[in-house]
Amino acid sequence: MDQEQANRRFYDLVWPHRADVLRLAQFLCRNGADAEDLAQETLLKAFRKLDRLQDGSEPKAWLLAILRNSWLDRLRAASAHPQISLSELTSEPAGQAPFQARESQESLKPEELLSDFSDQQIIDSLRRLPEEICWTLLLVDVQGLSQEEASEVLDVPTGTVKSRAHRGRKMLRELLLPLARERRLVRDDVNLPQEEP
Amino acid sequence: MSMQYDDDTKETLDRAVAARLAGLRNMPVDTTALDRAVRAQVPPLRARRTLLMRPMRAIAASFLVLAGVVTAVVLSTSSGPALASAAQMAQVHQDIVSGRIPVMQVDSIEAANRMLNSQSPDAPTLPQVPQSHVMACCMKSVHDKKMACVLLRDDGEPITLAVANGSDMKLAPAPVVSRNGVSYRVQSVGKLHMVMTERDGRWLCLISQLPADRLIDDAARVRF
Repeated sequence: MDQEQANRRFYDLVWPHRADVLRLAQFLCRNGADAEDLAQETLLKAFRKLDRLQDGSEPKAWLLAILRNSWLDRLRAASAHPQISLSELTSEPAGQAPFQARESQESLKPEELLSDFSDQQIIDSLRRLPEEICWTLLLVDVQGLSQEEASEVLDVPTGTVKSRAHRGRKMLRELLLPLARERRLVRDDVNLPQEEP
Repeated sequence: MSMQYDDDTKETLDRAVAARLAGLRNMPVDTTALDRAVRAQVPPLRARRTLLMRPMRAIAASFLVLAGVVTAVVLSTSSGPALASAAQMAQVHQDIVSGRIPVMQVDSIEAANRMLNSQSPDAPTLPQVPQSHVMACCMKSVHDKKMACVLLRDDGEPITLAVANGSDMKLAPAPVVSRNGVSYRVQSVGKLHMVMTERDGRWLCLISQLPADRLIDDAARVRF
């Protein structure tokens, strides 16, 4: 592939997804400059590895895999990022189920309660999740990848993606519960039974 | 307390969280700086480069200068203001649209300004918003700071335009989108999008289910 062909391929296949890359980088990084730097690094790596992108494969998933590897490289280099091992999470925390807890007369649907949270509050809560869980939700729910595509990006079986997505959504609800209480979206005395194993 | 936490509930909660996360997919991002940095290292196709790069660089340079000026103006005029959260502004919009708070029916910005001024002599003046149908107005307060609100309709979709004195309100710490040298803070709460900016010493916020880009277009057309 000559230079012009490579450039054309880059602008045809990769360029349309740059906003997705930058958005995801912004979710991961706490400051805008770092996010732009990470997105730029991802796009340039993609350009250099363009010959590995096979015809007919999905460029977005491929690009997000590069973004993930770049992000993990940075974490390793910084080695100061607080990580929670998945092994610590094999037993799920006691199941409180936020967003279903109002009195029947004033009950709101979960969708309505969740819509009361700003994007920033949701993003901040996502950042508090363990790395693997956060990435699963970012790929499957935020970016809309299929579970098969996400499993390739994360290099884990599809079943693992499915269970992490379910667990992540539950953890996110639990992280948002104190905020919901603070804003009187659910009552202070809400104390729901544990989820069955 | 004993509440059933059955499979249906779990599935409903799961779907609700997934849908809320999917909403983040529509958060606008400003790729201007990223585009510039990548294009510097991966030159666009030759035809594009010769035709577009020079004007693009000129536009980018003037864009940066204007953004700096706007930032300086914003910083110099925002001492001690209140911060309206996205959730508060979404609530204001929902209250007005649903009729949960009393509003005055009006059919023009002039009429809205007259009504608001008679109710509160120090009410911030509402600007002209071309091509929008004016429906109702009211005064609202956020942290004791007054906001003049007007309900507009654009393409059948309600839009709340809230205006306050620039010294009273500050822009929310939200993603910034720059358009023609003007910075807009863009946020979403559920299906509602909101765009905040400062103009002529006033703080403006538009809230609607219309896409954020559309609200930015509307904010750009506002004339005091």
